[in-house]
Amino acid sequence: MNLLLSDDYLLQDYPENITNTIRSGHTTCLRFNRKGDYLASGRVDGTVVVWDLETMGVAQKLRGHRSAITSLSWSRCGRFLLSACQGWRVVLWDLKDGRRYREVRFRAPIYTAELHPWNHKLFVASVFDEAPSLVDLSDSNDVKHILPSAPRRTNIDADAATKEKQAKEDAKQMTTATVWTVTGDHILAGTNKGRLNLIDPNTHEIIWSEKICSSVVTTLRLTGSGRELLVNSQDRIIRTFHVPNLSAEDLDPDTIQMPLEHKFQDVVNRLSWNHVTFSATGEYVAASTYNNHELYIWERNHGSLVRMLEGPKEEQGVIEWHPHRAILAACGLETGRIYIWSVTSPQRWSALAPDFVEVEENVEYDEREDEFDIHPQEEINKRRLDLEDEDIEVLATDLRKGYDEDLGGTDFRMPVLFDLGASDSEEEFVAVSTGTVRRRSMGEGQDGEDVEEDKTAAGAKKVPAGKGTKAKKK
Amino acid sequence: MAELEPPANAGPPSKRRKVQDDSADSTPRYESLAKQDSQPGEKIILSASIREKSLQSRPESLSRTPSRDRKRDNKYYSSDHSRHSRSPSSSQSRSRSRSRTRSGSRSPLRSRSDSSSTRSRSGSRLPGRVGSGPDRDSISRSLRDTPLLDGQEHEDSTPPAHQPVRPHYVPRLLLAGHQEPISQVRISPDGRWIASSSADATIRIWEASTGRHMDTLVGHMAGVSAIAWAPDSRTLASGSDDKAIRLWDRVTGRPMKPKPLLGHHSYVYCLAFSPKGNILASGSYDEAVFLWDVRAGRLMRSLPAHSDPVSGIDFCQDGTLVVSCSTDGLTRIWDTSTGQCLRTLVHEDNPPITSVCFAPNGRYVLAFSMDSCLRLWDYVSGTVKKTYSGHKNEGFSIGGCFGSVDGEPFIAAPSEDGEIVLWDVKNKEVVQRIQGHTGVCFWVDVCEDIMASAGEDGRIRVYKHHNSEVAKEINGVSGVNEALGDLVVTDPSLQNEDIKKEI
Repeated sequence: MNLLLSDDYLLQDYPENITNTIRSGHTTCLRFNRKGDYLASGRVDGTVVVWDLETMGVAQKLRGHRSAITSLSWSRCGRFLLSACQGWRVVLWDLKDGRRYREVRFRAPIYTAELHPWNHKLFVASVFDEAPSLVDLSDSNDVKHILPSAPRRTNIDADAATKEKQAKEDAKQMTTATVWTVTGDHILAGTNKGRLNLIDPNTHEIIWSEKICSSVVTTLRLTGSGRELLVNSQDRIIRTFHVPNLSAEDLDPDTIQMPLEHKFQDVVNRLSWNHVTFSATGEYVAASTYNNHELYIWERNHGSLVRMLEGPKEEQGVIEWHPHRAILAACGLETGRIYIWSVTSPQRWSALAPDFVEVEENVEYDEREDEFDIHPQEEINKRRLDLEDEDIEVLATDLRKGYDEDLGGTDFRMPVLFDLGASDSEEEFVAVSTGTVRRRSMGEGQDGEDVEEDKTAAGAKKVPAGKGTKAKKK
Repeated sequence: MAELEPPANAGPPSKRRKVQDDSADSTPRYESLAKQDSQPGEKIILSASIREKSLQSRPESLSRTPSRDRKRDNKYYSSDHSRHSRSPSSSQSRSRSRSRTRSGSRSPLRSRSDSSSTRSRSGSRLPGRVGSGPDRDSISRSLRDTPLLDGQEHEDSTPPAHQPVRPHYVPRLLLAGHQEPISQVRISPDGRWIASSSADATIRIWEASTGRHMDTLVGHMAGVSAIAWAPDSRTLASGSDDKAIRLWDRVTGRPMKPKPLLGHHSYVYCLAFSPKGNILASGSYDEAVFLWDVRAGRLMRSLPAHSDPVSGIDFCQDGTLVVSCSTDGLTRIWDTSTGQCLRTLVHEDNPPITSVCFAPNGRYVLAFSMDSCLRLWDYVSGTVKKTYSGHKNEGFSIGGCFGSVDGEPFIAAPSEDGEIVLWDVKNKEVVQRIQGHTGVCFWVDVCEDIMASAGEDGRIRVYKHHNSEVAKEINGVSGVNEALGDLVVTDPSLQNEDIKKEI
């Protein structure tokens, strides 16, 4: 509604300065929901915090994990949230009551776990040193399907020695990132050898594969339309690809082309990138830098760097772009704070006084012919009332419904909880030393989990963020 | 509790002015009230009861905001202006206007302290008993059995046949229990509950279908001017003259938070929840609009909104805009997320605005102004699209809302002569008038086919819409209730409670 009144569309469409700093514990992972009104953040201590972006306050706190959250994924309706942690566990939360809807255990830490875009009972997970899994939660017992990491071989009739060699090579292929295509018909998977695999979730087979970079793929991201793919890799280059329509009826796996569009890199400083994200429309690409404080923003049209965001004096880990607006959320690696970057529009003063107009330069005033004519008051009133013959519509929302429509008609409403406690202010934790925080007060009936916060937070010094350190662990 | 309300000349300066003015202003207003009554017989009784009150020097005024005599000064350029620099003369006129408003809520405490509480009660009942309409028997019955059906006024309610929108609201229930005038009555979003806030410092919750009294929320230290339902129909917010906003759990009847929301420097006068229920907007006599984070109970944003008490506030249906209005004659549209003013709407004559609400689709703003008009503004172009008149609103803060019948929208507004007036949105014609209350009717709320109104008489009336075919049949028959097969609903517990009060 406010779009009708504001001229924010004139503002630039990438964020410029920090408008908010929010904090709950030490955040390592972020994700906006599809509608863009909530931000989920995962903490080092395993707590998942859901932030209400309208109030910039905590909407829910989900406790259940015991170690740092590495990945978060929202269901389409915004009711379910999937969180994965380093502690080998994936939890699907029902935000309606804040309870664990399902819990799945793996045999290793999890890199990413992403919900199917339409079906919240299906997710794909990439696991450390293990084969990726497609997990189906529709039954009461979850079903794990192992997905391959190595591409299928075409030379079936090769001799035994080659086969053995290939098998060895294949065994080294590990999937490090997985993402669903927008329709949910395929899974895109990146491997530690820089391959991009396209997996059919029904047959659990790789139908297409290509080597896209020389090092570990750390992040895969698609735009809202699904036509562009963003790949962050350990070789210090961010790549964007055009994705063909993979849902076409006559899709032939052998002819799929994913042409490279841009390579973003800092050739001077040879920076590597902690995390990357597409802007709302995919027009921009943002990245946080390793061992550096800046956020880089490139625009995709020409592939040029448009902005370096400098603000907090700490390295930024995971960054996320708001799904509709020019808002960027980034979490600091050292303090675990969440920085919200946005654009601020200035107050228009003419809005406060309706008979004033803001003009750029002097304007000659043209007096209306009858401006100072005197009419009897009744006549003026009558004339005024007679003018009100316009037909108006007060019930139907004829205005564009926008993204609300494609949310599948599910109108999930986040419950408003009153018992969160005032435990999320800046004062909750005190920085003891770099990367170490301590709870300031132990009051307010916290459960045992919070007591452990000290230990886990201290341990976070060595493991600042799941994603950023992923390749280093290898 | 009585100490909290200082006697005249003892309170803080701002209040003292009001109290003084109270006594000065109370008498003429009762006369004006008496004049409104057309029937001569009642007039006598009314004036008697007035005299009784004025002898007790209890200005039991019931108004919400009469600031008619306020000096009109176009101070909308800076809302801070008047706040900080009040010339003696302007403060004089202003204080007078405010004083009347508030006295209603203030009186309960005083009445509690004096010994003649029973007398005062019977006094306040008196006009109600007489004024409610042609059928006195039914009304006296109403005092015994509450809630009851009072369908005696159906003669007024025949809608013109050719109208596109044909609301036909028939009286169904009369809810008694509040001991002071009721400032607002609100039906919960799910249509199951009715909440009412009163000058007796309590909030009562009723079941909309049966009229059963569910709970009385006690906690405020002064009269309650505003209530708002959260969209989940479970949480209720109330704003009071004790400057506090409280959040209540409808189910338990207990406060949601141990501490009320404190921050306003003066009476909290209007409240609105955002459609998601995460933000509460409040307007106050301190001329500011506050946005609260409901979950944390934290003040999120304070908007220096107006140069007079903020009299009405509302959220648009997608929560991105807040509208506030004030007796300074301005209606302002705010961006929820940035807190910036996006538009100011002001009519040429600059009448004080007493209440404001968004159209159901959020595209227009309906402003209730004290020149007995409702104006429907297109806030994008900043023009008045429709002006509705036919009710009386010259001295009180009244508020109504939009409703719809068979997909056709209408506007319901209370009137100071006790009526409820319903207009067709499109052709501005009055489509139904309901003789509702004795004295001023302050608030009307519509939810689907239920309408609730409340007023000076401390009663809530609940109406139900019947479609026009049924209505026509009924008009031929004398007894509406019998014809509809509705029965007098009595709840034993409430009956007892009521009897207790009567004795």
